[in-house]
Amino acid sequence: MNQNADLLTLRSVSKSYGTVPVLHDIDLSIKDGEFLTVLGPSGSGKTTVLRLIGGLEPLTSGEIRLDGQDISRMPINKRPFNTVFQDYALFPHLTVSGNVGYGLSVRHIQRKEIVRRVAEALELVQLGRFADRFPAQLSGGQRQRVALARALICQPRLILLDEPLAALDLELRRQMQEFLKSIQREIKTTFLFVTHDQEEAIGMADRICVMEAGHIRQLGTPHDLYYKPNCEFVARFFGENNLVAGKLGPAHGELRSIETALGRLICSISSQPHLKAAPDGASAYAAFRPEALHLVDGKDADNRFSGTIADLAFAGSSTVATIAAGIGNAAQRLRLRVPSRVDGSALKSGETVSLSFAPHEGHLVLA
Amino acid sequence: MSEAGSMQPAERRLSLLVTVLAFALPVLFVLVPLAIFLGYSFFSVDQGTIVYGLSLGNYVRFFTDPIFLPVFWNTIVLCVSVAIICILLAYPAAYFLTTLKGRWRYALLMLLLVPLLMSYVIKIYAIRSILGLNGFLNKALVAVGILQQPSTLFVFNMNAILLTLTLLLIPFAILPIFLSLERIPQVLLRASDDLGASGLQTFLRITLPLSLPGVASAASFVFVLAIGDFLTPQMVGGISGFTFGRILYSQFGTAYNWPFGAALSVALAVVVIAAILVGERFGRNRGTSI
Repeated sequence: MNQNADLLTLRSVSKSYGTVPVLHDIDLSIKDGEFLTVLGPSGSGKTTVLRLIGGLEPLTSGEIRLDGQDISRMPINKRPFNTVFQDYALFPHLTVSGNVGYGLSVRHIQRKEIVRRVAEALELVQLGRFADRFPAQLSGGQRQRVALARALICQPRLILLDEPLAALDLELRRQMQEFLKSIQREIKTTFLFVTHDQEEAIGMADRICVMEAGHIRQLGTPHDLYYKPNCEFVARFFGENNLVAGKLGPAHGELRSIETALGRLICSISSQPHLKAAPDGASAYAAFRPEALHLVDGKDADNRFSGTIADLAFAGSSTVATIAAGIGNAAQRLRLRVPSRVDGSALKSGETVSLSFAPHEGHLVLA
Repeated sequence: MSEAGSMQPAERRLSLLVTVLAFALPVLFVLVPLAIFLGYSFFSVDQGTIVYGLSLGNYVRFFTDPIFLPVFWNTIVLCVSVAIICILLAYPAAYFLTTLKGRWRYALLMLLLVPLLMSYVIKIYAIRSILGLNGFLNKALVAVGILQQPSTLFVFNMNAILLTLTLLLIPFAILPIFLSLERIPQVLLRASDDLGASGLQTFLRITLPLSLPGVASAASFVFVLAIGDFLTPQMVGGISGFTFGRILYSQFGTAYNWPFGAALSVALAVVVIAAILVGERFGRNRGTSI
């Protein structure tokens, strides 16, 4: 399969329920064979995107193209996509093999062929022994895998997954994430995975599409989204982050300064032309990750400022300190993440510390 | 906390009372009368007085007398027919109801159930006048030219009983079917569409099997109510519409042979219990909870 070819394209797709708009002019291309995650808080329209593609809802305007063909009006049962529903939606009166073979038997495929392919699909999701059970006799993770087998047995061009792990407990969810990813690699089918859990998104996706309030905010690899968020929403939503408001100063090559309450900070703008082009004095945020911050003694470090440790929280492998920096109206709460130590943290509550982050680990987002 | 502790003995007494009542009431008002009935069926009657000696005479008479078994059988066939016709009419109605949105659905359901609030006897009278030789049905059939002249096809006979019972009992069929259809999660139907099924395939493979418990309880409901009814056959059956219920009634009423009536009731109860068990068996769904 050609990784670079577009499988599915959404062109200025809008959707309203009555007079309430839920999607505004969405443009999105899904590449053949990729694992694309649509990430957003509830109400962002991410599930609607999936329902429109699956044909569960009609578009209000715009079009959806599959291999260049407009399929916006194609009925749901003719679309070569299959959905893994949030609550699995297994048929309670059919056995596991009845459920998995359903998509084949409604297409009048020969019984022998169905039996063979059901066995194959169950083998793939490691449920061979459970073929004759009913859904009610399975655990959540097993039902999940039945739902997946049922979707992939029809060899769809695209598998749509609607928060399929939301109902599972943490440990099982981790296992299922790895499992889904390995299955996707094995069958090389395109996955469109909807979730509100950014950790899930980072762990599984080739690319992530971040949505908010019916708009796509950013589309890129997890690495891009983490280190080069293009707006305040993505910078705040995607992982823990420190944002400090300020006015842009002049750019110097790959770096640009920003005047903030914590002083002048220098951040990277590499391969982000819109930040290079923004005028001096424009409102923006300096953004840096808690793990990018570190304690410094010397006075010559870049991006140096001081603050008071307001709170310490032990989080297993790391310890997160909440730092109060700046004064008065400009007071900021920042987070600092340092590796935990067996003999207790070197940090003490109430202590005043000097902090800094490397310019290439800071980034800018326009306000 | 201490308040709850001091309440406990009183609460425990109350829950004990409730438990005792929950068991005692059915025993006292259902099982004991049934047992008495069963006992009576082994007695006999001599010149209008009951002889309290045990014998199987009543049952021997029921199985050997050429009158009773054919009526018994015909009544079962009649009531099965009523149940089938009720299901065939109620299913589309219930299905249609579930396709309606919001308020309309329940408004229409209430309208269909309104007849249950009316007096049974009044309804029978109303239906009798519709079915009569000069009734609405005959007049309508003549008016549209289906019949040349009024027909006696549904006047004071088995057909009249069949039609009347069907009309009277159809709400009892609509309700359980409607409830079972309504309980099917919509996402299952969407999942079926998503897997490539046509509308008809989704109905036949998902909707219909998942609504069968409702159909089974509707059928056993209607059957049990129909077979226990003696008033309807009495009022619209005429001479030819003779059902087991009427025989039973006459044993307790005109013939004043309670022991034989009790034996016939036991025979009827066996069929009713069988119908309920069958309905229950098919009504149970394999692991409906997802």
